[in-house]
Amino acid sequence: MWLETKKKIRITKQSVTTILYPVLFGVLVAVLWQTQVLHKMIGADTFTLPLPGRIFAIISDNAPEIMLNVRATVIVALGGLVLGSLLGYLLAILATMFPKWGVGGLTVVSAFNAIPIIAIAPILNNLTKDFSKDPNTRSMLAKMLVVMIMCTVSMSINAYRGFTELKPFSLDLMTSYAASKTTVFFKLRVPNSIPYMFTALRVSVPGSVISALVSEYFAEYIIGVGRQIRENIVLAQYATAWAYITVACAIGIILYVVLLIVEGILLKGRR
Amino acid sequence: MDVAEKSETIYVKEMDDYKKMVEISVENLGVSFTDKEGGAPVVALQNINLEIMQGEFISLLGPSGCGKTTLLRTIADLQQPTSGKISVRGESPREIRSQKKYGIVFQNPVLYEWRTVRRNVCMPMEMMGIPKRDRTARVTKMLELVGLMEFGKKYPHELSGGMQQRVGIARALAIQPEILLMDEPFSALDEFTKEKLHEDLLRIWKKTNKTILFVTHNIQEAVFLSDRVVVLSPHPGRVSAVVDINLERPRDLSIKSSPEFNALVTKVRNSFEGV
Repeated sequence: MWLETKKKIRITKQSVTTILYPVLFGVLVAVLWQTQVLHKMIGADTFTLPLPGRIFAIISDNAPEIMLNVRATVIVALGGLVLGSLLGYLLAILATMFPKWGVGGLTVVSAFNAIPIIAIAPILNNLTKDFSKDPNTRSMLAKMLVVMIMCTVSMSINAYRGFTELKPFSLDLMTSYAASKTTVFFKLRVPNSIPYMFTALRVSVPGSVISALVSEYFAEYIIGVGRQIRENIVLAQYATAWAYITVACAIGIILYVVLLIVEGILLKGRR
Repeated sequence: MDVAEKSETIYVKEMDDYKKMVEISVENLGVSFTDKEGGAPVVALQNINLEIMQGEFISLLGPSGCGKTTLLRTIADLQQPTSGKISVRGESPREIRSQKKYGIVFQNPVLYEWRTVRRNVCMPMEMMGIPKRDRTARVTKMLELVGLMEFGKKYPHELSGGMQQRVGIARALAIQPEILLMDEPFSALDEFTKEKLHEDLLRIWKKTNKTILFVTHNIQEAVFLSDRVVVLSPHPGRVSAVVDINLERPRDLSIKSSPEFNALVTKVRNSFEGV
């Protein structure tokens, strides 16, 4: 009982420090920003670095248009994330089934991680130009493919580890029950890979948002939060650009929080 | 029928009975591991001969490197022999394994952390395609047997090491195996938990009438539990003695201070070679 109480107190104390301190820091920055102390510190003016009040006013005034761009970005990010993660998981399954080729194959796949988004985005634009007559549709596909490539790698490598890094004797246990390879796969390897899947997603969820934003810069059709940041900077509408930057941050944070909640539910009971 | 013929018939009949009683027979078994760097193969076991009777509690005792775990794994068909032969009830270890007649308890509990205690015990029965209602009933019975009735809904990490190993025993017994193979199951536990589990294991053994093959490096443990102790010596792994433990059953912890117990411990200790 005493131990239990102590544990509860410790958790509370920990959550206070992990949530309260960053929030306090954020409030401090916002206050310095709004009072223009921040501008004096970094030598900026309110034209290039508009006040938070003005940024939020722009967001609320242009809510419908911003939401249209948010929708486009989220579709690209999530679509690419799902496609890439599924492809990565499939590659990991193949690598587990054929271990002789699998390990080498995954090394080749991981080389894709080294390709910068800026390099592949224009190439994919070019490759997908015959996909549809509608520029919005073919742009969407090109952007999604960029995100997909970024997400495939982390999922394939982590899922492969989840399939193969089994606890000692767990494979022997299955063998002692004369389990078939299929049974071993579904009863042991798949459940074992779930925490590894979340390790991959913790990297690829923020990665998918960033890839979506950057790939929009190079897309044929002008839509998306990332693209609006660029367009508004070109037009020297810094306040609007900052409004989209704020929205981009919010997308990333919200998707990450959703991931953490899903992880908390699915991995309940595991250590 | 004259007298000689009659006595021969009786002799043959006795031989048949004896053969029926033998559960596992190991003949001239040798196991070698090939060196990964291409050197000479390492001989883990050499010329092992052993007969294990039905319902017997037999221990394989020896220091590390004597091949006791290798012998258990070879009987379990998790390891292939280099020479010699093992037969279990007249069949090969592989046939016995595919009929799911082995229950194995490993050095660590090997519980799946994503399954509750109940579902861990249930796991091998799911694989055998036993209907759900029977599974549920049998899991309850098994948890009762190992004294974990209230812990069915817990996850493995919420249990102590001793309790986890009990779950492992319940899972091994759940498929109603003919033979229980235990590979140093209690070596990671503290002395108090270990003694409690020793008593529980003897109780479970008596209740279920299984043949138990128990691997250990602990002399006292082997003497306390077994009908016979097979003493293995290393380099190469070989049987250096088989000691009958004719202590009365049921046994409780008090026999550990008796002179007979200590005499047997000394006898077993003296039968090691080249350690």
